[in-house]
Formats: sequence, C-alpha cells, structure tokens
Amino acid sequence: MSFIKNAQTLVRENIREYGMFIALFIIMATFTVTTNGIFISSRNIVNLVNQTGYIAVLAVGMTLVIVIRHIDLSVGFLAGFLGAVAAIALVSWHLPVYAAIMVVLVLGILAGLLTSFLVAQMGIPSFVATLAGWLGYRGAIQLITRSTGTIIIPNAAFNAIGNGFIPDIPDFGILPGIHKITLILGFLGIILYVTNEIANRRKMKSYEFEVMSFEMFALKLVFVSGLIGGIAWLLAGYQGLSWTAVVVLVVVIIYNFITTKTVLGRHIYAVGGNPEAAELSGISVKRLTHVVFGSMGMLSALSGILFASRLQSATTMAGTLFELDAIAAAFVGGVSAAGGVGKVTGAIIGALVMTSLTSGMNLMGIDISYQYIVRAIVLAAAVIFDVATRNTGK
Amino acid sequence: MKTTADTTPIVEMRNIKKNFGAVQALRGVDLALHANEVIGLMGDNAAGKSTLMKVLSGAYIPDGGEILIDGKKAHVNNPMDARRMGIEMVYQDYALANNLDVAANVFLGREAVRVKLGPIGVMDNRHMEQETKHLLNRLKIDISSVRLKVERLSGGQRQAVAIARATAFNAKVIIMDEPTAALSVAAIDKVLDLVRELKSQGSSIIIISHRLEDIYQVSDRMIVLRHGRKVSDTPVVGDIHEFREQVVAYMVGARDDFSEEEVA
Ligand SMILES: Nc1ncnc2c1ncn2[C@@H]1O[C@H](COP(=O)(O)OP(=O)(O)OP(=O)(O)O)[C@@H](O)[C@H]1O
Ligand SMILES: [Mg+2]
Repeated sequence: MSFIKNAQTLVRENIREYGMFIALFIIMATFTVTTNGIFISSRNIVNLVNQTGYIAVLAVGMTLVIVIRHIDLSVGFLAGFLGAVAAIALVSWHLPVYAAIMVVLVLGILAGLLTSFLVAQMGIPSFVATLAGWLGYRGAIQLITRSTGTIIIPNAAFNAIGNGFIPDIPDFGILPGIHKITLILGFLGIILYVTNEIANRRKMKSYEFEVMSFEMFALKLVFVSGLIGGIAWLLAGYQGLSWTAVVVLVVVIIYNFITTKTVLGRHIYAVGGNPEAAELSGISVKRLTHVVFGSMGMLSALSGILFASRLQSATTMAGTLFELDAIAAAFVGGVSAAGGVGKVTGAIIGALVMTSLTSGMNLMGIDISYQYIVRAIVLAAAVIFDVATRNTGK
Repeated sequence: MKTTADTTPIVEMRNIKKNFGAVQALRGVDLALHANEVIGLMGDNAAGKSTLMKVLSGAYIPDGGEILIDGKKAHVNNPMDARRMGIEMVYQDYALANNLDVAANVFLGREAVRVKLGPIGVMDNRHMEQETKHLLNRLKIDISSVRLKVERLSGGQRQAVAIARATAFNAKVIIMDEPTAALSVAAIDKVLDLVRELKSQGSSIIIISHRLEDIYQVSDRMIVLRHGRKVSDTPVVGDIHEFREQVVAYMVGARDDFSEEEVA
C-alpha cells in the first residue's frame, strides 16, 4: 500500500524526468504489438540504434542551445551539407578519412560560430538567424551536388562508422553467435551505473539530504539495469555494438561530464536560468553563446558524417527534417522552453523516442503523410507537457 | 561607532555623473563610506539610487567623476573589478539563477575548481557546499539544504541567499538595493538582523530603501538623492518622527543642503 503511494508521489514529483521513459516504454510496447514482435527483434533494435545516432548527437547540442534560451533550425541542412562536403573530400579531394572528418568538424564549428556571431554580436533572434541558415545550407547542398547528383562514397573505413560493428573475441563454444564483447560492455555498464548510484545515495544521505525510500531505490536500480542489460542482449544477438553507438556514447559521456561537473557547464545553465544575473556575476553571456552554437555546429557536422556514412553516399535531400526530430527529442528529453533546464542524457532518450516512432511507423507501413502529422503531434505534446509541468511542478 | 571626518573613507565617490540618453540620472553626486559604517540611501523613485550604486558595483560606467578605494583612485569597469576590490552588490531583483541550487548561486562566477583540464575547470562541489553551509550558519540564515533550488525558496530566503552570496568572499563593502522590498514583516526583521550581524562582523554597508523605519533602525548616516543630486547627508539621530519629517522634507524638495554648491 505505502509502497504504491511512494511510487505515485515519486512519479508525480519527477514527472518531467520519468515522463520520457514512460513515453518510450509505451511507444516501444505499442509497436512491438502492432508489428508482431518485429519491432523488438535484435535486427531492428540494432537498426534503430544506428538511426538514432545522427539525431541523438544533434539533440545533445540542441539541448544546450535551448537551455541558453535559443533555437537552431539550421542543423538539419547543415548536417546534410557537411555530409556532402565529407563525401567530396573523400571522393574528389582524395583526403584520408581522418582528415576529411577533421575538415568537416572544423567547418561545422565555423558554421556554428557564424550563427552565434549573428545572434550574440548582431543581436538577431536565433530563430531568424538559423532560419536563414536553414535556407542557405539547403541551397548549398543543392549547389555542390548539382553536377554529380548523389555522391557515392566508396570508402570502407568511412562507411563503417554508420554500418560497422565493434570487433568480437573469436567463438570458443560458449554462447555461439552472440557478440560477447557487447555483453561484457553491457555488464560493465550495469556495474558502473549501480556503484555510481549507490555512492551518490550514500553521499546524499551523509549531507542529510532527502533520498527516495530503499524499495524505490532498489526498484529503480533493477529497472535501469534491466534496460541496459536488455539492450545489450538484443544488440549482442545481432552483430553487437555498432560504431555509431560508440560515437554517441562518447559524445554523451563527454557532454554529460561537461554539463554536470565543470564550471563551463554550470555557467551554461546559469545563463539559461537568468542571463542578467550571470552577466552580473562576471559570466560572459556572449562567450557562452559562441561556445554553445560552436558545439552545435560541430555536432551537426558529426551528424552529417554519421548519416552520409550510413547511406554510404551524400544526397541532395540529406538532413531534411533532422532539426524537427532534434528539437522534439530535446523537448521529449525534458528540456524547458523557458531555459535553464534539461539534461543531455534526456536528449538521448528523446532521440530514441523520435526514431522509434519513425522506425515503428515504417515497419507498419504507415503512409508518410500521416507520419509527419504524428511527429508534429509528438513535438507539440512534448512542449505542452513541459509548459504544464512547469506551471504546476513547483 | 560614528566615524570622524578625518579618517580616509573606505570608498569615496566624487562628482559622479551618468546620463541615459537625455535622462540625467546622476548630476554629480559625492558619497563617502567609512569603515564599518552603515549608510541609508533614500530618495523618490527614479532619484538615481540604483544607478549610483550600479556605478560603484561596476554594472554601469559613469560619464564623469571618480571612485577612490582606501584613498586611491580605482578603475571599476565591470562587476568583476568591483568584486576584486571587495565591493559586492545585492541587486534590487536579487539576481539569482532560480534553476540552480543555493550553493551554486553563492559561488556563481567564482566556482571552486578541483582540477583544470585545459580551459575547462572541474568543480569542487563538496567544498562549495560545505563553505555555503558554514556561511549560512555564520549569518544565521535558516535554509534546510544548500542543494535546494532557489526557485523553491521563499522571497525572504532568496534575499538571504543574495546577501550571503555578497558576503561569501570577505567583501569590505556590501551594497543592498531595496533588500526589504516585497518581503513580509517577519522576513524584513530577518534581513535587518542580517545587516546588523554583518556590521558587527566588520562590514561596511550601503542600504537603499523606501522604508524609512528600516533605514532608521540600521543606519549610522542617511543620504537623500533627488533628481540625480544629493540633497542631504546627515547622521541618523533623534527619534523616528523627527527623522521621518526630515527625510520627507528632503525627498519632496522642501529642504536641500547642497543647492548652492551644485553649479557644475
Ligand atoms: N539602464 C537604463 N537605461 C535607461 N534609463 C535608465 C537606466 N537605468 C536607470 N535609468 C533612468 O535613470 C533614472 C534613475 O533610475 P534609478 O533606477 O537609479 O532610480 P532609483 O532611485 O533606483 O528608483 P527606484 O526607487 O524606483 O528603484 C530613471 O529616470 C531611470 O529611468
Ligand atoms: Mg532602484
């Protein structure tokens, strides 16, 4: 009885954080039923993770952009454009893979700084500045692919980023056909998570800070461990952890560290919470705007690389509507339109929600026009949820 | 505790001028604050009180005049400059980041760093939380946890955090812009207690208020501004009724101690 009550208050108080998990769970369960289990198959989950990659990295950057009270509409076509530049760098300029990637990442940062110059230095609303970027980069893709049309990328190493998997130890009889390194990594992930949570809880207690009841805590540990274990098991059943997933994990770990543990991260949230107060505290709002948009540009480049690599080509339409999915992912992940609130880890869950929707609807053969409408509704619902919980959540 | 005129003031502002377009917010104001003194700064709305104090705290650059700290000419170009010289301001609207917790706000812009990875500093949260706890205890501020987000605090608690933040780094001079506005009577008493506590710990304070009784209770001296000019600079003496009549006379322009000097 009291356990259920406990659970209820916990969900109510953390509705913003749990909302996205609930949404993800409902979406996954629904598609599993409507596709007779195909949705939850190893093969599809691996695909899903790879499709999530290029949205997830955008969503991480977008979260920070929204945290400092801006928006970036240009990321989709910027990603598409930079993916095409990567293809040209490999095919026409004959650059080695690492050099092509470096060039594109640097171009991404420059593009981000161009936006932040307009926003921070010229005082143009980010909505307008990046709408111009949306149009400009779209034109730029068409321009550079006009003579060639779709550019096929014949580079195996580059294409492995979007299609390849991490190597495994050779089979030795136990669990044949299962990707063992992936299982081991999943297991390590669970151990890391559990020890980290327990240490945190102990620290909170020593500060005499209120912690959730032991039963709830144990339940949470079991649930999240089950989630990590389940995903690892599903991935291991196909070909294991993909390079895309590795890239996303690295991005999330770095960004999570920066946003939660460093002065830079603290200042980003302070600027989002109260720009005037931040400025009076000696924090340069302009400088942080450059940093956040610069990072957004770099992640757009990364997204473009992941997408081009996945398709093994650069197309004129690459990047279309990525910005919508990234913005929706950020909101589903708990970012607030009022600024100052939102975690990069949430953005990943949000990205999973958005790609699950696309993937599930594709498997069900739902007409593309309905798919657009459904995604629009999810974006609107996420923002409505944000506004509703913000007003009552205090 | 009254200071004599021949000691060097800890802060001296001379002939400060500040215009906003056609608005002459300050028309040459002098102000001297002595060590361990509390000055009450009063005046009608738009008299220039906040502007004068923002000049001192580095938020505004004056169009004319000079600032001396411990008798030496100082260049206060931004809030960080002022803070480095030991001048802290509690702004009229608190200037806290509501989405961050108490400790984060107290250390905002001056985070304790554990290690530096190139340009990125890794914060020492434990140190900041402990320091904040000590600070709140020392100032007798009652907040259950330094990890509470500021948006969860009451108005009085927010004001207390803003004041604590101003005192966290051994400020010599603390400026408070209407610290008692929008607070309940009980919360006002707490803030005034805090001012007395700070004075007893050696701080020098300038407090802006529209509530004459607040100024009367805690100040050694009162300064009245009117239309961007100082019209009164006198010790707080006598009973509260005399004080009130005196202040009102200055505020409405019936009295002016500096009228003939003001030619520039
Ligand atoms: N940033 C600004 N831009 C333009 N005008 C300003 C600015 N700050 C102050 N002023 C003007 O300067 C004058 C003095 O303002 P100030 O805020 O110093 O008054 P105050 O004495 O603090 O009033 P209050 O009691 O209402 O806080 C006013 O006419 C105000 O409109
Ligand atoms: Mg004012």
